[in-house]
Amino acid sequence: MDNNDARYVELVNLVKEYPNPYGDAVRVVDRFNLNMPRGEVVSVIGHSGCGKSTVLTMIAGLNPITHGNVVIGAHEVNGPGPDRAVVFQSPCLLPWLTAFGNVMIGVKRVYPHATRAERKQIVEYYLSLVGLADAMHKLPRELSGGMQQRVGIARAIALKPKLLLLDEPFGRLDSLTRMELQDVILGILDRQRITTMLITHDVDEAVYMSDRVVMMTTGPRATIGKILELPFERPRDRTAVLEHPNYYDMRGELITFLEEQDHGSDAADKRRAAVEASRAPGNKAEDSAESEAAKPAEVAA
Amino acid sequence: MKYKILKALDVAGLKVFEPIVRLCYGEEPRVQVVKIGKFIVVPVIVFCIFLGLWGMIAPRHKTKYGEVPTPAVVWDAFNGVYDFHVRENTKQDDYRRSGQDRSQTIEQVNAELAAIEPDAAAAHKHLDEVKAEVDASLKAELKPLQDEYNVMKTAAFDARKQREAELKEAADCIKADDTDARESLLASIIDHENKTDADRDKLDELKAKTNTLLAAKAPRLLAAQQQVNAIEEQRMYLNMRLQRLESDNREVRLADAETDLKAIHAEYLTASGPKLLALGKNIVRSEQRLEKTKTAEPAGPWTFFEQIARSLACVFLGFAIAAGIAIPVGILCGLSPVVMASMTPLISLFKPVSPIVWLPIVLIIVGGFYANPDQAWIQPSFLASAITVALCSLWPTLTNTAFGVAAIDKDHLNVARVLRLGFFTRLFKIIIPSALPLIFAGLRISLGVGWMVLIAAELLSSSEGIGKFVWDMFNNGSSQTFAQMFVVVFFVGAIGMFLDRIMIVLQRLVSFDEAPTAI
Repeated sequence: MDNNDARYVELVNLVKEYPNPYGDAVRVVDRFNLNMPRGEVVSVIGHSGCGKSTVLTMIAGLNPITHGNVVIGAHEVNGPGPDRAVVFQSPCLLPWLTAFGNVMIGVKRVYPHATRAERKQIVEYYLSLVGLADAMHKLPRELSGGMQQRVGIARAIALKPKLLLLDEPFGRLDSLTRMELQDVILGILDRQRITTMLITHDVDEAVYMSDRVVMMTTGPRATIGKILELPFERPRDRTAVLEHPNYYDMRGELITFLEEQDHGSDAADKRRAAVEASRAPGNKAEDSAESEAAKPAEVAA
Repeated sequence: MKYKILKALDVAGLKVFEPIVRLCYGEEPRVQVVKIGKFIVVPVIVFCIFLGLWGMIAPRHKTKYGEVPTPAVVWDAFNGVYDFHVRENTKQDDYRRSGQDRSQTIEQVNAELAAIEPDAAAAHKHLDEVKAEVDASLKAELKPLQDEYNVMKTAAFDARKQREAELKEAADCIKADDTDARESLLASIIDHENKTDADRDKLDELKAKTNTLLAAKAPRLLAAQQQVNAIEEQRMYLNMRLQRLESDNREVRLADAETDLKAIHAEYLTASGPKLLALGKNIVRSEQRLEKTKTAEPAGPWTFFEQIARSLACVFLGFAIAAGIAIPVGILCGLSPVVMASMTPLISLFKPVSPIVWLPIVLIIVGGFYANPDQAWIQPSFLASAITVALCSLWPTLTNTAFGVAAIDKDHLNVARVLRLGFFTRLFKIIIPSALPLIFAGLRISLGVGWMVLIAAELLSSSEGIGKFVWDMFNNGSSQTFAQMFVVVFFVGAIGMFLDRIMIVLQRLVSFDEAPTAI
C-alpha cells in the first residue's frame, strides 16, 4: 500500500460557518480532520444535529466549505461531482424515470464512450446487484421505500465513485428492511472495495458495517471526539460480529461517549437553538437530519 | 380486459361509466345499478328537464327573426346544415366524375328528376288549391269589414263636412263686441276636432283589423308553401348536379377543349400570314387554359363542417404558436429570477387584453406582410386569427411553465449537481420532465381559452370558420339561420369539451405523481 492509497481521502481542517446577522458567524463544524485509506469504511456517529450531515454534504460538494480542503486520490475537489456519490435518507429518485432510467442517467454521464448495449449491461448489472433484477422497469411510485432506496444505492455505486457517501441511508426504513439493505451494501462494499463514509446514529449499524467509527462531539463547533478501530474481518458476518468477545465493550464505549456528549451539552443547547434559527433553509438533507432530533432512544438502544 | 377498460375510462376522465362496465361483468349488480341511477340517469333526466324548459320558454319570445327556436327546430336546422353539406360534396364529386361512372350518375339523376315530377306537380296543385281556398275564406272574412269601413268612412266624411259648414255659418254671424259668442266658437272648434279624431281612430282600428287578417298566413298555406319549396329546392339541386355532370364536368370540358385545340392545330398547319400568328397565339392560350382546367376545382360555398375543420386548424396553429413561445419563455422565467422579474410587467400588462382589441391590430400588421393577399399560400385573415388566438392563450402556459420550473424539487436538482450534468442535459432530463405536469395543465387552459377566442376572432376577421358561419347566419336573418346559430352553440361546446378531454388524457399520461396511467 503506497502513500497515495493510505491517505486516499484526506479531510483537512474542514470548517463550516453560517453567518449570524446578530453577531459572529456560527461555527457548526470546527476543524474536522480525517484520513481514510483506500477501501476503508468509516462510520460517523453523533447526536442528531451535531453536524454529521454537514460534513458529508461538504465533502459531496453540495454545501460550500468555509475553510479546509477535501482531497481525494491526491486531487483536491471542489463542488459536486460523480466521483463522490451520495445516498440520502430519502432516495431522491426522479419520479418520471423507471429504476433503469434513474441508474442510466448516471451511467451515461460516467461512461460517455460506452455503446448503448454496454451501458444497458452496466445498468442491469448494478440493479441486479441490489436485488432489483425483476423490478428494473418499474417507476419509483410502484416500488416500496426499501426498493426505492436500493435503486438509490445502485445509482450511486454505478457511478464507480472514489468515495461513497451514505447519509443515514436506512433512516426511514423499518428494521427488517434496514437489516436487508445493510447486508446488500456490505456485500457490494466487500466485493468492490469502495471507500465509504457512512453517517448514522445507530450504534449497532456503525459497529456492524464499518472499519472505524468516528465519534463527533455535540455542536456547535462539532469536531471529532474519538475514533474507535474495529477488529472485525471482511466479509462481515452478523453473527460473528455479535458474538465477538469485545462487541459489547466497543458498543459500550460508543454509548458512553454519546451519553457524555448529551450531558455536557445542556449549556450548548441554547447555542444550538440559536444556530438552527439562523441557519439558512434550503439544504434538505441536513434539515431532515435535524428533524430526527426527537429520537434519542435510538441512540441509546 | 375488464381492468384495461376501467383504466382507459379512468385515464379519459370518464369514470362515470365505470358502473356500466362493472355491471356488464356482473360485479355486484345491485351496487352498480344504484350507481348508474345516481350518476347517469339523474344527469340525463336533468338534461331532459333543461330541454323541456327550453322548449316551453323559447316560443314565448318573438323576435324579428321569428320565435326563439325550440330544440326540435334546432334539430331540424342541424339536419338542414347537414343536407347542405352532403349536397355540396355530391356536387363536387359530380364535377370530378368521368367515364362510365359519369353516365350512370347522369341516368340516376335523370331518373330522380323524373320521379320528382309528379310530386312537384301535386305539390303545386295542392298549393294552388290551398291558396284559392284561403283567398276565398279571407275574402269572405274581409268583406263585411271592408263594407263597414266604407260606410263608416263616408259617414265620417259627411259629418265632418256638415260640422265645418255649421262652424263657418256660426263664425260669419258673430258680431264685433260679442266675446261670449267668440268663446263658444272656440269651444265648438275643439269639439269638432275631437270628433274628427275619434272618427279617424275608429277607421284606423278597422283598417288594422283588416291588415292583420291579410297579414296572417294560414298554417295550411305555409305548410303547402314549404312543401313546394322543398321540392323546388330538390329539383334545383338535381338540375345543378346534371349541369355539373354534363356541361360543367371536368372530363367534358377537357374533351371540348382538346377538340377545339385539335381543330385550331389543323388550321394552324395550313394557315399563313397574319392569320398564322393569331392562330399560334390562340393555341398557346388554349393550352394554358387546358392545363388550368386539369387541376381546377369548382368554387363552392363553405359548408358548416368544412368551417369546423378550418376552425380546428386555426385553433391548433394558434395553439402551436402560443406553446412555441410560452414554453421556452416560461422555462427561462422559471430558471432565472432576473428574467422573471423583467417579464412580469410585460405579462401583467398584456395578459388582460381582450381578443377584440388584438385582432384589428394583428390584422393590419399581418396585412403589411402581404403584397397580394389573394394569391397568398395562407390567407392573412386566417393567420391573423391564429395569431390572435396565440396572443390570448399563451399566458396560462407561460405562467404555469414558469411556476413548474421554479418549483422543481431541490432533491432532483441535487441529482443533477452530483452528476455534474451539462445545462442541456439538466434542462431536458431533469427540469422539463419535472415541470411537465404543470406545463400540460397550462396548455389545457390555453387550448380552452384559444377555442373561445377563435370564434370571436373569426367573426371579426371574416376568416372562414365557425365564427364566420355565425356572422353569416346573423346577417342572413331568417328564422332558419337563427336556429342554425343554436346548432353552432352545441357544436362549439362539444368540440371544446372534446379538446379539453384530449388535454386531460395527455396531462395524465405525463404526470408521474398520480395513479398509473398507462393504458
